[in-house]
Amino acid sequence: MTAGVAAAAGLVPAQAGILPEGLNVSFKLLPAILVSGMLAIFLAIGYVFKVADTEGMWVAGRSIGNVENGMAIGANWMSAASYLGMAALIATSGFYGLSFVVGWSTGYFILLIFMAAQMRRFGKYTAPDFVGDRFNSDTARAIGAITTFLIGFVYAIGQARGMGLVGLYIFGDLGILGLSGYQSMVVAMMAITVGYLTLSGMLGATKNMAVQYVILIVAFLAGLYVVGFTNGYSTVLPHIEYGALFSELGREFSEPFVNGGYYLWIATAFSLVVGTCGLPHVLVRFYTVENERTARWSTVWGLFFICLLYFSAPAFAAFGTDLYASEIGPVYGDPGMTTAAGDVIVVLAAQLSNLPTWFVGFVAAGGIAAAIATTAGLFITGSSAISHDIYKNLINEDATQRQQVLVGRLSIVALGVITTLAALDPAAPIAALVSYAFSLAGAVLFPMFFLGLWWENTNRQGALAGMTTGLVIWMIPMINEVVPTYGILADAAGADGVLSATLAQWVPAIGSALVAVPIVFAVTIAVSLATPEPPKKTKQMVRQCHSPEPMGQQQTAEDAISDDGPTPADD
Amino acid sequence: MYDNILIPTDGSEAAQNAVAQAVDLAEKYDATVHALYVVDVEATNLTLGTEQVDRIRQGRIDEMPEVQAEADEATGQVADAAATRGVSVEEHVSAGSPSRAIRNFVEDNDIDLVVMGSHGRSGLSRVVLGSVAEKVLRRTRVPVLVVDLHDEDE
Repeated sequence: MTAGVAAAAGLVPAQAGILPEGLNVSFKLLPAILVSGMLAIFLAIGYVFKVADTEGMWVAGRSIGNVENGMAIGANWMSAASYLGMAALIATSGFYGLSFVVGWSTGYFILLIFMAAQMRRFGKYTAPDFVGDRFNSDTARAIGAITTFLIGFVYAIGQARGMGLVGLYIFGDLGILGLSGYQSMVVAMMAITVGYLTLSGMLGATKNMAVQYVILIVAFLAGLYVVGFTNGYSTVLPHIEYGALFSELGREFSEPFVNGGYYLWIATAFSLVVGTCGLPHVLVRFYTVENERTARWSTVWGLFFICLLYFSAPAFAAFGTDLYASEIGPVYGDPGMTTAAGDVIVVLAAQLSNLPTWFVGFVAAGGIAAAIATTAGLFITGSSAISHDIYKNLINEDATQRQQVLVGRLSIVALGVITTLAALDPAAPIAALVSYAFSLAGAVLFPMFFLGLWWENTNRQGALAGMTTGLVIWMIPMINEVVPTYGILADAAGADGVLSATLAQWVPAIGSALVAVPIVFAVTIAVSLATPEPPKKTKQMVRQCHSPEPMGQQQTAEDAISDDGPTPADD
Repeated sequence: MYDNILIPTDGSEAAQNAVAQAVDLAEKYDATVHALYVVDVEATNLTLGTEQVDRIRQGRIDEMPEVQAEADEATGQVADAAATRGVSVEEHVSAGSPSRAIRNFVEDNDIDLVVMGSHGRSGLSRVVLGSVAEKVLRRTRVPVLVVDLHDEDE
């Protein structure tokens, strides 16, 4: 539990032996069949496309459309944090939770305006590839790769927590090797996810992501409408009708900032905005689309699909909070709703409405689909950072494809193991865990992408200084707030579990990018100005990313400048 | 006896090891050598990301200069070896799972002999990576000559 969220929620940390109170923890046959069936479908789709891959492989011209790409963006993006964590924070912290709705959707506007099309024009494969090639530096590539791996790891902890908690409703307490019910579930679900990745290879990824998106959005909206209708909260537009509950829900909903300050709200929202624009597994979808027009329209569709869920989450949270208050106990105060119960509020709301178990199981299955789709994307991005950017580009340039497969698979297993270990006793609720990854992406990668694409004089020295600064600023609050919860430095931490309360207030781990981004921008620009300008070829590539001249379907900025070597007009 | 000899290559030492044998046979029988590089989709997925698999599936390998350079280098080595012995040679690039792509190529191009190298893996790396040569042996009906890297070392 971070000090930030604790302060916002007015809660005391209550993490020992995670068990969501009120949740019916037992093995249920129908939901178990439903979830197993869903996982089997993912595997089948992966397998079908694995087979189909060789056939029709070289048929040129078939491209992924805006809508399909938009759905893939939506599924890749919406994780357990969107499905469970967002409603959870709105339930436990009220108005503060809205910073997630605002931050995560605004991020896509920035992406749309400043980065989607330009990224497509630059034409690289991975985020470290971009950093390495734009700044002509293997060190920059290595820092980018390590950051990418770290983001995948931190982000996935939240997914593991979500799957573990939701799995409790479906499969009950498995009791593996003396672990608690939650811990057993985390181990089981992560094993399934890693197994899924190795078996299906995610080759039907785009198809699978479209399916995963459909499952998660149908499950979420069906859950919302049915819960709203059966309890008489709402009829056709629960997104607005939940407003009628405000007076009963307590001050967290009706009086903004009564518990959480403005600063924390702004810091969180800002971190989520810039984090969205710096997340490698989000940006990667823009490198490959047909042209920059498709890049833009995919973003618009992606944002639309994402907003379908985001506009619904506050209503779901409000219904869940009201049901919790009437059936379990007071939501706020001491003891109040634990973060564990908050993280399953979506499932809990369905269960407390006395809906049939298969329907509650369906709502839970949507959460698992969301978590698996995102974890798969994260692990693939993490493994590519290790096997492509570090192993192939820096360690063994002559690596064959098979050696890279070996390294890639080992990286995925390693990621699975460390994520599972860190998730056994997670430091914070899902949404906060995921925010740490956003702070990191926002502090280290976003300034490099933004300056790299928009200011041609950004050079190698500036990028290296900026990225190092970003990493350091990100780590300080992580050590201050998060590391003590894992028992390290715990003696030095105060009663509230942080090393320095002042630092936690002004540089919260959940929103450290608000402090980091301006500093990283300043450092990068200052160092770039003080050192020699980048080579002319690099500058031309940057200009090519903004040329009004549309590029051909198969062109990248690098090709465009080597084809005709244009003399830039403003030179 | 042989008109079309296929040499699948990934540019590795093990693959190059088989080239001499293949070219020698091709010269004796006046056969055409086909050098085939398979872009391993699983490797692409794990190293460049799932999105690049989409790109390959769309047939846009020319957008991926590094991948293409690697393929050209691997098949080029075979072509050079064939050229020095005056054997006619064709270079091909395909994508997918290597063993399946090789089998499809054999069926589609009237190949009557496959000559390929093998790492002679054992233990863990064989379990994790498997043997392409082994799968090709099992799945094709044409003769397959497997040249094991380890035998050459001894």
